[in-house]
Amino acid sequence: MEIFSEIYSCYYRVLRHLLSSQNPLTIKDIYNRICQEGFEESLLSIIPKLEDGTWNLFKKEGELYLSKISPSFITPLTDLEKSYLKALLADPRIGLFLEPAQAETLNHMLTHVPPLWQQEQFWCYDRFADGDPYDDETYRRNFRLLLEAQKNCQYADIDYNSPKGNRVHHYYVPLRLEYSVKNDKFRLLALAHRSHKRQKLEIFNIDRIANVKLTDKKLSPSPSINDIIQNSYYKEPLKLRIVNKRNALERAMLHFANYEKNTVKIDENTYECLIYYNQNMETELLIEVLSFGPMLTVIGNERFLGSLKRRLEKQRELGH
Amino acid sequence: MSDFQELIKSFSKIREYVRDFFVYGFKTRSDFKDKSPRTYDNQRRRLESWLGPYVRKDYVPGGFNLSLAIDSNLLDTNPLFQVWKTKSFTDNDIQLHFFILDLLQEGNTQTAEEITDRLLTDYEALFDIQTVRRKCNAYAKEGLLKKQKSGKSVVFSLDNTLMQWLKSNKNLRTALAFFQMAGNFGIIANQLLEQMDATNQIFRVKHSFFVHTLEDEILFDLLQAMHKQMAIKLEIKSSKTDRENMVHCIPLQIFTSTRSGRRFLCAFLGSSRRFTCFRLDTVKHVFLLEEAEDYEELLAKLERNRPHLWGVSFQSTERHHLDRLTMTVWALEPTENYIVERLKREGRGGTVTRTARNTYQYETEVFDCNEMLPWIRTFIGRILSLECTAKSVEQRFYKDLQNMYQMYDINDSTDEQNE
Repeated sequence: MEIFSEIYSCYYRVLRHLLSSQNPLTIKDIYNRICQEGFEESLLSIIPKLEDGTWNLFKKEGELYLSKISPSFITPLTDLEKSYLKALLADPRIGLFLEPAQAETLNHMLTHVPPLWQQEQFWCYDRFADGDPYDDETYRRNFRLLLEAQKNCQYADIDYNSPKGNRVHHYYVPLRLEYSVKNDKFRLLALAHRSHKRQKLEIFNIDRIANVKLTDKKLSPSPSINDIIQNSYYKEPLKLRIVNKRNALERAMLHFANYEKNTVKIDENTYECLIYYNQNMETELLIEVLSFGPMLTVIGNERFLGSLKRRLEKQRELGH
Repeated sequence: MSDFQELIKSFSKIREYVRDFFVYGFKTRSDFKDKSPRTYDNQRRRLESWLGPYVRKDYVPGGFNLSLAIDSNLLDTNPLFQVWKTKSFTDNDIQLHFFILDLLQEGNTQTAEEITDRLLTDYEALFDIQTVRRKCNAYAKEGLLKKQKSGKSVVFSLDNTLMQWLKSNKNLRTALAFFQMAGNFGIIANQLLEQMDATNQIFRVKHSFFVHTLEDEILFDLLQAMHKQMAIKLEIKSSKTDRENMVHCIPLQIFTSTRSGRRFLCAFLGSSRRFTCFRLDTVKHVFLLEEAEDYEELLAKLERNRPHLWGVSFQSTERHHLDRLTMTVWALEPTENYIVERLKREGRGGTVTRTARNTYQYETEVFDCNEMLPWIRTFIGRILSLECTAKSVEQRFYKDLQNMYQMYDINDSTDEQNE
């Protein structure tokens, strides 16, 4: 079993799509498909092979390319893929997606397949202890209704108990379900039903949602979640100075790898890193920066620097 | 000079480049001192081709920085999966792939000879029988084809039932959309989704490190060894010194951090009779050796030790077996109860006791308290005291704190009053 195999390559996928076409293709159709699905330079490799017939996969009729393959062509699963699916069946989160009967059918089809891994072969040592209750029936029901609403861009009537103890009851369109690996929790990113206000993402912990009811109302056109998130970023990024001691550079770069960032080398051993973030990420980012201690220096923005200093001042006041 | 090839033969060669561009993102041509300039140029060009939309070029003195601008808040998939889709192949490979699988779509069984004949008659494609047999055998090994004996002949067939079931099952597609971002071997879920012409439009994932996918080939080999309970030889390249060395060990478990972005192999070293962790990103190759006789016993021993692990270190710098750390924090009741919740949720089995109004004590006993410091520092602003039986840990915490006061010009309020 190999993960790095041409069977899964981008070129095979592009060719599968071209070959599954019901209609004869012009070279322009082929160009367009490669541009859409291939890598940036794939055209240079694929087109000559098709034009000169080295890849004898099409019958040429004048300017047209006719696939030699049946339009219903399906690639069967490899042992690696089967083994992967078998491992997923043991994941506690699979019950959020598959009904018990579906899981049983899949398990039956994979009877003789060994799982690619077993849950106990992995240990996530810093995951928080209060993950979501994936086996809870209300949780599962709410999760599935939110999925349905998200897929249809449909308003849902959500009854929510906030962490501060307030009860929120309102109509929202689920835009994305966000999973945190660290918290082992799902959160809902949703838009509230407001007529004249600027669109702002609301965030809910799914395990705090008491009830979800779907409505008939839909939001159209579907808003771009990325535009909303990007618009929420502070104009001034967090600016860090990193002196490469105690492997700080490598640690910081990996730690903050998931943020939009830009790093520049200032001199032999000093680097400057810009990290883009929004209000929702602020506290977590501050905690992350604090965890590095003196290995990182915050040099901007003023807002972030102010929050960091306040924590240090409070600590100093406590007498250390 | 040979033509530039977009595809590559070996994943391991590109792995380090992708990691450097993704993780660091400030390296110019001159930073890759071990590589020839042409190799660097070719690899850079490949990365630009595969990961085009995510590549950012910043011009700096002495060249330009090539980096990958990846903001996981905005992504529906892991862009680094593209790197797995770059395996090169021959002209025969791609033609035989489509012809053989197409020929067997109806569920019929054929010998390699029959397939070779049909390739000529049905597809006007001439191949020698050895080439066809080799491909059929390779596909049988990968599980794409079924190989069985029929009388004296070996016949090949194909079974599409599972893929058809997957295609008809929306719930499973949704599950794969999720697990490609949030589980082990996400690349495989991504490949399955692609085969079903599906994408993820539903989920976003936080605290998932995209760079992990680059270690999946190594992880796969390690899991194979763990399944078979075998000893292994690891080829390791130190991330600090770049020195390579070989280690014999027995692989037991994969340790993952959701914070630091690192994954480790926890293994037993026969030479020192100790458990040790190796970062997966430093492992270059895994060689399977003989079966490990005492495997179950070692697993049980690791299980007994794990409650005293904070992270991945089994030994403190002060050579104590276990060290005790006690931290007292201030949390205003009831508005700051979330701090108490944090101690319980993130404290990895440590005890939390209310010692006075607004005062809570966290206590734990672990092998290496040094590893706790990053977490301890996240409570800066409310730490009333920190005590540790490993005095160096205590000293380091307070020394780092003093350094931070200096760095940010935080004066002692009593000093100010005196002034």
